[in-house]
Amino acid sequence: MGFLISQSLVNGIILGTLYLLMSIGFTLVFGIMRVVNFAHGEFYMLGAFAAFFMVTLFQLPYVVALGLSFGGAIFLGAVIERIVFRPFRGDELSGMIASIGLAMILQNLALIAFSPDPMAMPSLASGAFRFGFLIVPKSRLLALGASAGILSLFYLFLMYTRTGRALRALVQDQEIAAAYGVRIELMYPLGFGLGVGLAAIAGAMMAPLFGVSPFIGETPLLKAFIVVILGGLGSIPGAVLASLLLGLIESFTSTFVSASAADIVVFALVVVVLLIRPSGLLGQEDA
Amino acid sequence: MTIAHSSSSRPESLPPWVRRGLPALALAAIILTPFATGGKFHFHIAIMVCLGAMAASGLTVIAWVGQLSLAHGAFVGLGAYTSTLIVMRLGAPFFVGPLAAAVLVGVTAAAIGTPLLRLRGVYFVLITFALNELFRLVMLEIPSISGGSSGIPNIPPASFGSLILSSKSDFYVLALICLAGVMLTLWLIHRGLIGQRFAAIEENIALAEASGIPTARMQALAFIIGSSIAGFTGALMAHYIGFISPETFGFQLSVAYIVMLVVGGRLALCGALTGAIFLTPLPELLRGAVEYQHIFYGIALIVVLQFLPEGLVSLPTRLTNIGRSK
Repeated sequence: MGFLISQSLVNGIILGTLYLLMSIGFTLVFGIMRVVNFAHGEFYMLGAFAAFFMVTLFQLPYVVALGLSFGGAIFLGAVIERIVFRPFRGDELSGMIASIGLAMILQNLALIAFSPDPMAMPSLASGAFRFGFLIVPKSRLLALGASAGILSLFYLFLMYTRTGRALRALVQDQEIAAAYGVRIELMYPLGFGLGVGLAAIAGAMMAPLFGVSPFIGETPLLKAFIVVILGGLGSIPGAVLASLLLGLIESFTSTFVSASAADIVVFALVVVVLLIRPSGLLGQEDA
Repeated sequence: MTIAHSSSSRPESLPPWVRRGLPALALAAIILTPFATGGKFHFHIAIMVCLGAMAASGLTVIAWVGQLSLAHGAFVGLGAYTSTLIVMRLGAPFFVGPLAAAVLVGVTAAAIGTPLLRLRGVYFVLITFALNELFRLVMLEIPSISGGSSGIPNIPPASFGSLILSSKSDFYVLALICLAGVMLTLWLIHRGLIGQRFAAIEENIALAEASGIPTARMQALAFIIGSSIAGFTGALMAHYIGFISPETFGFQLSVAYIVMLVVGGRLALCGALTGAIFLTPLPELLRGAVEYQHIFYGIALIVVLQFLPEGLVSLPTRLTNIGRSK
């Protein structure tokens, strides 16, 4: 029993960190642009494909592939913000519906380009570490370490750079931020680009673990939804708390009950949280 | 968040009989096309248009109070399962099925509506999204009722006594009658006092509340009516297609109805109908190229939102206005 509990704890924390990487960009985009981005998962999928082709076709080192898919997604995201989302600033509902359209376009373009069959990406590490009676696959540990690294870098960027401060100011209050000289015309595309860039890098990181197909975007979108509802739309500390909570709930319920029960428990929790505290566990009270 | 919908009150350059007559003529032509060609395939498309238009019209009613539901697919599913189980397990005659489905879905919507509708805007969308997913997951977990992931096959076709509507042309007549009933309901709501109250809530909920409109009850009413229509449609759909499974009523179906609603016109009386007429035949014409069809849907959605936020139904008015300003 003690073994099961501690193994579930470890699995839950790993899962939670991966979920955080999947959802942090989603909450950033909502915080800055007030857009619920249904296309978030598609950028995850594009990031996974980009890394897959760079590693298998062009034999690039994995770290370079990660960097390139991150950069490419930022650029693509910034362009899309200008073309698709610009007219909907201040209109949350229309922006959200537009993102549903964008998701349909991106997923089906990928279907045409890459065919629906899932492809396996070579694992970066094999085998498992054993800590006493705990077993942790090396590939997962690597993903955990890299995710933690990326998230820390992103945290430092948000807290201690000029651009990061400008983005945080926009999350708090757009008009005041603009009045203090934050250049919205630059920050909106950048914020959206960064948000989907984080989705793409998450996809690139998970590709060796879970494989690549045009449909892999659905899971991270769903997890990101759950995380931001639980943690509060636009709240980054909330996303951290909710990701870990989600990882732990899933890990414990699937160990002690069943995997499908885990999904039901999570969605029931989402409904309850939305009803009792619509702004989420750590969200601002503006709902 | 709100979209001005006052274009209908602007003075028109065209005489009223042209403005009303032309769309009516076009509609009549569309309705009669399958009878003229007699093709089974055309009847099938026409039936799918009717069913899509009915379900999406349910969304219109909910949109009238300023909400967008992503749980519509689940309500269609709940209706489909209700009718299927009542007819197949309890041996009730067909006509009981859709009525029971509408009632049961309406009661469900009433039970969950009040707490749900305290949320507005994207928060309401998010919770309805979660509910839709919850419905699918729970149904998959109880195969004794839902048939699990293999679903329920061989659902009996619609029938009234000895009259069995197993052919597509017969079912089309039933679908047309039901669609007419739904459109009539919408029209009655729209032109009555309730419709005005709905519009006031959509435009400014705080002001509506301050003016003495019971906003919570009105929103719940819209949600119940809209969801009942979805349940009714789901029942018809089950008996027409003859097969249902929890996967039929997932996120994709809810999104399909939203695309119809937004492309046709979010708040217009005939918006959902227009959207269904333009979008439903498309997958059939682009057979074997589903990807292109979805890309087209996505582009249509974004283009309409950007350039025609009141939907395709506002196109004639827009065009005459452009013509006049020259």
